[in-house]
Amino acid sequence: MPEGGVFRSRDADLEAIELMTTLNPAQPSAQTSPFAAWRTRDILLAAVIGVVFGVVFAIWNGIYYGLQLAKPLPDALYGMWLVPAVLAPLLIRRPGAAVFAEMVAAGVSTLFGSPWGPDTLLSGFVQGAAAELVFAMAGYQRWSLPVLSVAAIASALGAFVHDWAIYYADVATDVQLLRLALMAVSAVVFAAFGSLAIERSLGRSGVLRGRSA
Amino acid sequence: MGAGIVLQDPASQLVMERVGDDVAFGLENLAWPLGTMRRRVPEALQSVGLAGFEERRSTRLSGGEQQRVAIAGVLAQAPGLLVLDEPTANLDPDGAAVVARILATLRDQRAATIVLVEHRASLAWPLADVVLALDQQGCPIAAGPPADVLRAARALERAGIWLPDDADGSQAPAQADKLGPVSRSHGTLPILELHDVRFAFEGGDPVLREVDLGVSPGDRVALMGPNGSGKTTLLRLAMGLLRPTAGEVQLGSRDPWRLAPAQIARLAGYVVQDPELGFLADTVREEVELGLDAEQLVFAHELCERLALPLESFADRSPYQLSGGEQRRLSLVTGLARRPLLLALDEPTYGQDRRGHEALVAALDELVEQGSAVLAATHDERFAQDATDRRIELAAGWIVGELGPRDGRAEYGIVVAGQGELETS
Amino acid sequence: MTAGILIPDVGPIQRASVLGRVNPLVKLGIALAWLVGMGLTLDVRPPLILTLITLIAGLQLGGIAPTALARRIAPLWLAVLGIVLANLVFSAHNPDPLATELFRMGPLRVTQEAVDAAAGLGARVLSIISVGAVFALTTDATFLIDSLVQLGRVSPRFAYGTLAAYQAVPKLADDLGTLRATRRLRGLREWHPRLIVGMLVRAIRHADQLAIAMDARGFGSGPRSTYRPVRWQPLDAVVAIAALAILVAALVVSR
Repeated sequence: MPEGGVFRSRDADLEAIELMTTLNPAQPSAQTSPFAAWRTRDILLAAVIGVVFGVVFAIWNGIYYGLQLAKPLPDALYGMWLVPAVLAPLLIRRPGAAVFAEMVAAGVSTLFGSPWGPDTLLSGFVQGAAAELVFAMAGYQRWSLPVLSVAAIASALGAFVHDWAIYYADVATDVQLLRLALMAVSAVVFAAFGSLAIERSLGRSGVLRGRSA
Repeated sequence: MGAGIVLQDPASQLVMERVGDDVAFGLENLAWPLGTMRRRVPEALQSVGLAGFEERRSTRLSGGEQQRVAIAGVLAQAPGLLVLDEPTANLDPDGAAVVARILATLRDQRAATIVLVEHRASLAWPLADVVLALDQQGCPIAAGPPADVLRAARALERAGIWLPDDADGSQAPAQADKLGPVSRSHGTLPILELHDVRFAFEGGDPVLREVDLGVSPGDRVALMGPNGSGKTTLLRLAMGLLRPTAGEVQLGSRDPWRLAPAQIARLAGYVVQDPELGFLADTVREEVELGLDAEQLVFAHELCERLALPLESFADRSPYQLSGGEQRRLSLVTGLARRPLLLALDEPTYGQDRRGHEALVAALDELVEQGSAVLAATHDERFAQDATDRRIELAAGWIVGELGPRDGRAEYGIVVAGQGELETS
Repeated sequence: MTAGILIPDVGPIQRASVLGRVNPLVKLGIALAWLVGMGLTLDVRPPLILTLITLIAGLQLGGIAPTALARRIAPLWLAVLGIVLANLVFSAHNPDPLATELFRMGPLRVTQEAVDAAAGLGARVLSIISVGAVFALTTDATFLIDSLVQLGRVSPRFAYGTLAAYQAVPKLADDLGTLRATRRLRGLREWHPRLIVGMLVRAIRHADQLAIAMDARGFGSGPRSTYRPVRWQPLDAVVAIAALAILVAALVVSR
C-alpha cells in the first residue's frame, strides 16, 4: 500500500526542489499565451525531441536504404522524418517549435553521418518551416487531427520540392506525383496520427504534467 | 549569496561536452569576467579531486566523477546554500564514499549551509548537525541533533527509514540459517553455464575475460563488483542479448543468442536496473498481461495481489506514475509471470527503502522455493546477505572471488590489483 | 552499443587540425554554397572533382584516419544507388522518342540522356556525402554552438539548451538497448514503434531535470559572459575563398 519513508516518486522530489529554487525570476510563469517566451523546460523538451528523433533518423536511414531497389515505394516511410515538426509543436504549443525541433533532429542526424550531410539541415528547415506555417495560420490554438494532418502534408510538400530540385531532377512527372502521394499519406500516418498517439501515451505516463497541453 | 543544487542523477546535470566548460557554465550565466572564470574553474575541480579534468568528455566519466563535476559546478559559484538531493543514490559504493568525503570536507570548512536529502542514513548521519526525518506524507517525524532523532528509532523504522546501524548489514541474521529448503539441489542440470567466456565491444577492451560460471536450479547468486567490472554484461550474455566474443554460453542447454524471443522468455526473466526501462504499455493491466497465455495470466494476477499491486486499484494507472517501490514490484511481476527457470536482476535495490527491500527478498525466496534460480548483479551488501547464498565477485572482467553458501563472510574479499574503475582523489 | 549508430568522435587530432580550427559556420556556408553550385549542373565532373578534393582535404587537412573516413562513408553508397536507380528507371527522357535508346528491358526503355542525368545526380549525392562526412568528423559540437551564439547571433538559451540535450545521446542509445532487451525477454519482437514512447518518456524526464539544473545555475537569467570566446580568424577567410575558387573552377571545367 503506501510507500515508505523519505523516498517517494522522483517527480515529487523534483517538484519540491523546483519550489526551493526560484532562482530565476526572468522565467515567465506557466499557463500563458502561446506567444509568451519559451521557458527553459520548453526549450529542453523541444531539443530533446529533436535529439531522440535524430537517433531514430539514424536507424530509419538504414531501413530506408535497405529498400532502395524498390524505389519509389520506400517513400512510404518518409513520414518518420517529419514527426518532430508536428510532435514538438503539439506538445509545446509555442511558435517556432516545429522549425527548432526539426532542425535539431536534422543537426544530430548530420553529425551521426546522415548521407545527406549538411543538406539535411536545409531539408530540416524546409520541413519544419512548412509545418510551422500551418500551425501559425491556425493561430497556435487548434491541435485537432485535421490541423495536424494539413501541417504534416505541408511538411511533406516542402520536402518533396526540396528533393525534386536536388535529388530527383530527371525523374518523370507522373513518378514525381506518385512520390508526392506516398509522402503525403506517409506524413499523415507517421506525423499526424503518430504524433497524436505519442501524445496520448505520454499524457498517460504523466511526464507532460504541468504543461499547457 | 545564491543557492546551488545537486540532483540525484548525475547524467541529467551535465550541460556541456567537456568538464571545464561544464563547471564554467554557471559562471557564464552570472556574467563572470573571463579571467576570473579561468582561475575559478581549476580551483573548483581541485576541490572535488578532479584537478586536470578540464578537457575530459563529461559523458565518458563514471557516475561518481560526474557527480563530483556537478558539485564543482555548483561550488564554483561560491553558493551560500548547497542543496543535495540524494547525491549518492545512483553511485556505486566507491563513488559514494568519495562524494561523502568531499561533503565532509565542505562541512568542516563551513563554507556554505548544506541541505542533504538522503535515504541512506549511514551517509547522512555523521555529516549532519541537524536531522529532519520525514514520513511518506512529508510530515516531520523528528527533528534535531542526530543523537536526539535516533531516540525516535521506532517511529523512523515504521516509516521505512534505514537507521545508520543497519547499514553494514551486521544485524542481519547469519546467512547459513536462512537457506531455503531447495537450496543447491545437487545432481540437477545447471540452468545457466558459461565456459571460458570472453566479451569485448567492437574495437574496445575486453569487458569479461575467461569467465566460467554455472548456475543450478535453486541457486541464489549475487554478482558483485565495482561499476565497470562486467556485471551487467555478464547478465546480458546470459540472456542472449549479447554474443560472447569467445567461449560458450548455454541457457537451458541452448545458445541463448540463437533463441527466438518466445523461447527465451520461457527460460529466463530479466528485471532491468531502472524499472522504467522495463515498461512497454500505457497501463498497469496492459503491462502485466502483455504477451502472456491464459495460465500465465492467472499467475500474473496472483503475483500482483501478493506484491501489493492489486489490479482492482492499479489496473488503469500508468506504470510511469507509480512510486519507485511500486515500479520495482511491477517489474518483478513482469519478470516472474512466466515462472522463468532463471531470473536475472540488475541492481534490484536501486532506490529502495526498507519495505521495498523486504518485499523483494520475500518474492525471490518464493521463486527459489519453486525451483528457479536467481542471478542478481548488485553492489548492495545487505541485499546480497539477505537474498542470496552464493557470491561471485567481479573485477575488471575477471571472476576474482567466489563464496558458497556456508563459507562465511570473513574469508571473503579477494580482490586483484588493477581494477578498471578505482576512484582517484 | 546500439548497432548502426555512429556516435561522432571528434578527437583532439581532428580538433587541432586545419579543418578542425576553421569556424564551423564557414564550413556550413561552404557546404551550402557547393550544394547550390552543384544544383546548377547535371554534369558528372564537377561533383566528382569536389568529392575528390573534399576527401583529400579531410585526410590531409582534417587529420581524419583513412579507416574512420571509409567506415563512415561505406554504408552510404546505398543512398547513391537509390538516387541513380530512381533517376535512371523513371527518367523523363526514357519515354521521349527523340532520346537515344541504349537498351530495352521489358517495358523499360533506357536512354543515353537518362544515364547521363542519373550519373550526374549520383555524383552530386557522392559530393554531398563526402562533405557531410568530413564536416561531421572535424566539427566539434561545442565549437559549432559557441560560433552560432557569438558570431551567428543565435539565442544562447536555444543553442546551449540544444547542446545540453545532445549530451543525452549515449544515455538514449543505452535506454533503447535496454528497452529492446526488455521486449525480447518478454517474448516480444525487439523492434516496435512503441519503443519511441519508452525513449521519449525517459528523454522528457531527463529534459525536465536538466532544465531545473540549468535554471538553478542561473541559465537565461540575464546577460551572459563567455568562457570560450570565438572570433573570425584569417584562416576562415582563406578557406572560404579557396572553397569558392574550387567551386567556380569545377563548374568552369564542365563547360
